[in-house]
Amino acid sequence: MAQPLPKGGAAPVPKRVAPWPPVLRAFLWAGIGFVVLAAMAAWLDPSPVSPYLTAVGSVTGWFGALIGWLLGIGGYDYVVRPMMGYPTPRIRTSGWRRYFEYAVDHKVIGLQYLGASTGTFLIAGLIAMAMRFQLMNYRPTLFHYPQDYLNAVGIHGTLMMFTVATVAMVGGLGNYFVPLMIGARETMFPKASGLSIWLVPVGVLTVSMSPLLGQWSTGWRGYEPLAASDGSGLLYYYLGVFALTTSSLIVAINLTSTILFKRTKGMTWNRLPLFAWGILTVSLLNIIWLPEIQTTFILGMMDKVMPLNLFNVFGQPLGYEYLFWLFGHPEVYIVVIPALAIWNEIIPVMGRKSLFARPIAVLGLVFVMLLSGMVWAHHMFTMMRFSEMLPFSFFTEMISIPTGFAYLAVIGTLWNSRLRLTTPTLLVLMSMFNFLIGGLTGLFLADVPANLQLHNTFFVVGHFHFTIIGGMVFSWMAAMYYWLPKFSGRTYSEFWGKLGAIWVFIAFNATFLNFFILGLHGMNRWVSAYPKYLQPENFWTSIAAYLLGAGFGINIIHIVWAWVKGPKVKENPWGAKTLEWQTTSPPPAKNFEELPVVVGSFYTYGKDVPDPVMFPVAQERAPGS
Amino acid sequence: MGSLLVFGLLWVVFSLLGEWGATAWINSAPDGTGPYFGTASNLGVVGAHAFDFLVWVAVPIFVFVVLMIIYAMIRFRSKPGEKMTDAPRQTRNNKVFVGSWILISIVINLLVWLHPNASGLEQVFAAQLPKNNPNPLVVDVTARQWEWIFSYPQYNITQSLNASGQDTLYLPVNRPVKFVLRSYDPFHTYDTAIDVIHGFWIPAFGVKYDVIPGETRILYLTPTELISTEQNPMARVQCSEVCGPGHPYMEANLHVVTGSAFAAWAKQQASGS
Repeated sequence: MAQPLPKGGAAPVPKRVAPWPPVLRAFLWAGIGFVVLAAMAAWLDPSPVSPYLTAVGSVTGWFGALIGWLLGIGGYDYVVRPMMGYPTPRIRTSGWRRYFEYAVDHKVIGLQYLGASTGTFLIAGLIAMAMRFQLMNYRPTLFHYPQDYLNAVGIHGTLMMFTVATVAMVGGLGNYFVPLMIGARETMFPKASGLSIWLVPVGVLTVSMSPLLGQWSTGWRGYEPLAASDGSGLLYYYLGVFALTTSSLIVAINLTSTILFKRTKGMTWNRLPLFAWGILTVSLLNIIWLPEIQTTFILGMMDKVMPLNLFNVFGQPLGYEYLFWLFGHPEVYIVVIPALAIWNEIIPVMGRKSLFARPIAVLGLVFVMLLSGMVWAHHMFTMMRFSEMLPFSFFTEMISIPTGFAYLAVIGTLWNSRLRLTTPTLLVLMSMFNFLIGGLTGLFLADVPANLQLHNTFFVVGHFHFTIIGGMVFSWMAAMYYWLPKFSGRTYSEFWGKLGAIWVFIAFNATFLNFFILGLHGMNRWVSAYPKYLQPENFWTSIAAYLLGAGFGINIIHIVWAWVKGPKVKENPWGAKTLEWQTTSPPPAKNFEELPVVVGSFYTYGKDVPDPVMFPVAQERAPGS
Repeated sequence: MGSLLVFGLLWVVFSLLGEWGATAWINSAPDGTGPYFGTASNLGVVGAHAFDFLVWVAVPIFVFVVLMIIYAMIRFRSKPGEKMTDAPRQTRNNKVFVGSWILISIVINLLVWLHPNASGLEQVFAAQLPKNNPNPLVVDVTARQWEWIFSYPQYNITQSLNASGQDTLYLPVNRPVKFVLRSYDPFHTYDTAIDVIHGFWIPAFGVKYDVIPGETRILYLTPTELISTEQNPMARVQCSEVCGPGHPYMEANLHVVTGSAFAAWAKQQASGS
């Protein structure tokens, strides 16, 4: 497959380099990388109990597989060889195959992220269905041993957090829309971005296959010191999350620098779209906190392999918990900030009304970002000293003030608007309702005396599903329907869109409102078997959960159908003013024929408001101007 | 102005209705514990009062936002088929609304932090002072994978068991109990390297406190109701922190009995063990 360097003259760009599909080649190279490095480890550090694969070998082998995978998918052809002076081969720009190859176009990468997130949402969602099936009965049925169930919980949580909640709206929608919205032709680091997406399948496969190495029972948080004595599969939990967080870190660096340096003429900070503000604040959170959790996981992994005794009786048993939540709570805001930004992106467009108190809406996002690092230990009220309870409950209460600013802006915008009740509007309003319940139940959990009862019960599980599914997933769906005409030039059926929205709304509330009651009744977390008196309520919760799963299925099928076969619509069907709507749908390779110039606010409506966007060259050329 | 008046009126009416419903919900249980359940100890009562107060705080906030969403969907809806035009009145800011929103949200948050949070914590902290717990019953609680072991040093009971040999917790009603929570006792083997965190939780008492390897923690509480696992399954000792595969089964029965019944039980346990 390697082609010799052409002698003299301009190098002809070779048409295709890969003789067979890059994904297959990546799998092969990953396999080779694993075997080579695992064998080296077995040779250097032999184990008497396992001659072929040791704990050390499975870690070093994984890194070999990672390198082989990244080189095979395109790193070798598009990054390593060009560095050595060979010409960069052509990158496919049309056809479905480009989504399964290395890409540098931020729109292709965005869709790759969206596809990866959606696929993982289905996998982790099916695991949730299995968990609900188990909980229909108070005794083990589907999962015969508690560790089977606990491992399913851990994989469900890890995949949902690190591949869906923190990725779909940042790596997916962020990569696709941020350059379009700020008037850029490409992102700052397209080559790194093209590789970063391919870390996602590595992470997903690593986490989902981890039980093969030995079951782990810690859930998605990997609490020490249990982790140290748990199954070896936990090593692949650390490594899978390492791959996923590295991917998110590259996205964060890429999009932050794109927003800082690639804005078009006239795109001042005061004109920057709300969604771009959301992605900027989230990316800063990612840049601050992802390295922190990666360091913690490396400590956890070394502790397990060596062992270092960092987090058990000989070390600091609570050290890991503090380090985990130091990242873990900002993580919650990494999930929800893009959702808050999307509300204020969609409602002014659908209400034909200027965004109310725009500076407050932006400040809300920024202050949530700043405060989010000061509340983490409220996850540990039952573990901490009494003296720590008052400050952490204080900051926890206070963070609801900037979060409320998103509501302030939406409500001010809704007032006296001419609201079009489309599917995206409906989903934004539903998301506000759900997130409100998530926030208000947070009030109870932030109260320490009540927390000492509610902590680690289903009340908490209900609370965070309301914030994450209710806040983020509903907003993600709203954004998908809103931007569907942009992705494909086609639109969805208003009937099926609304039916799907109402369906998931009712099923979601029926499922997770029950969690609060279950928690108050004494249902604790991480149990596959529970006292019999809780069975009837769990049974009906599970029925609602299946309906919720079916509802998500309906929406996904509908969106895919609309994308491929839906009725064609004109450009900019919503009459939105932001820049992504000022180009063709789907956008061309370099986004804009001519870079737009921003001369006004995107969120100002009303009589005699001039167009905020200008195309000086095109307008000069146009006859009669 | 008309819309504002209508909305304000609706908000007051629905908030009052909501508060009425919340109060009925709170008073629905015979002992006034409402939806909180875990009130069979002095600490549980503190949590229940906090919970009830927060329900009352949350109702008007919930009504405000939800009513606004519904109100906007009806009142400010653009009719289907109507030509897409900008809203006639474009208010981009309103200092009174924004200012009062920020002020009220700061006041509410400070309020709920002070009461019920700080005021409740003051009671919890006071309840943990030895001088406020005269003549306590000392129960050494050992948490290990996956068993609760209870010993009563004042009564020479090294491990309290029921007739089937299961660990069981007996407590006298209305007498302070000093739980000594640790993961090691002198009567059982102990491997420091695999010791993990457990959570000592009695749902009916409305309180839990974690047992950390290498640490000994004290929890004082006073049971206030005669309950037992047989008659109320929330009266049980349950591990609340995931501690490995045996976690769901790490539970023990609880009996809160009268002082004389407890004395009789202790005598029988001490002679039996």
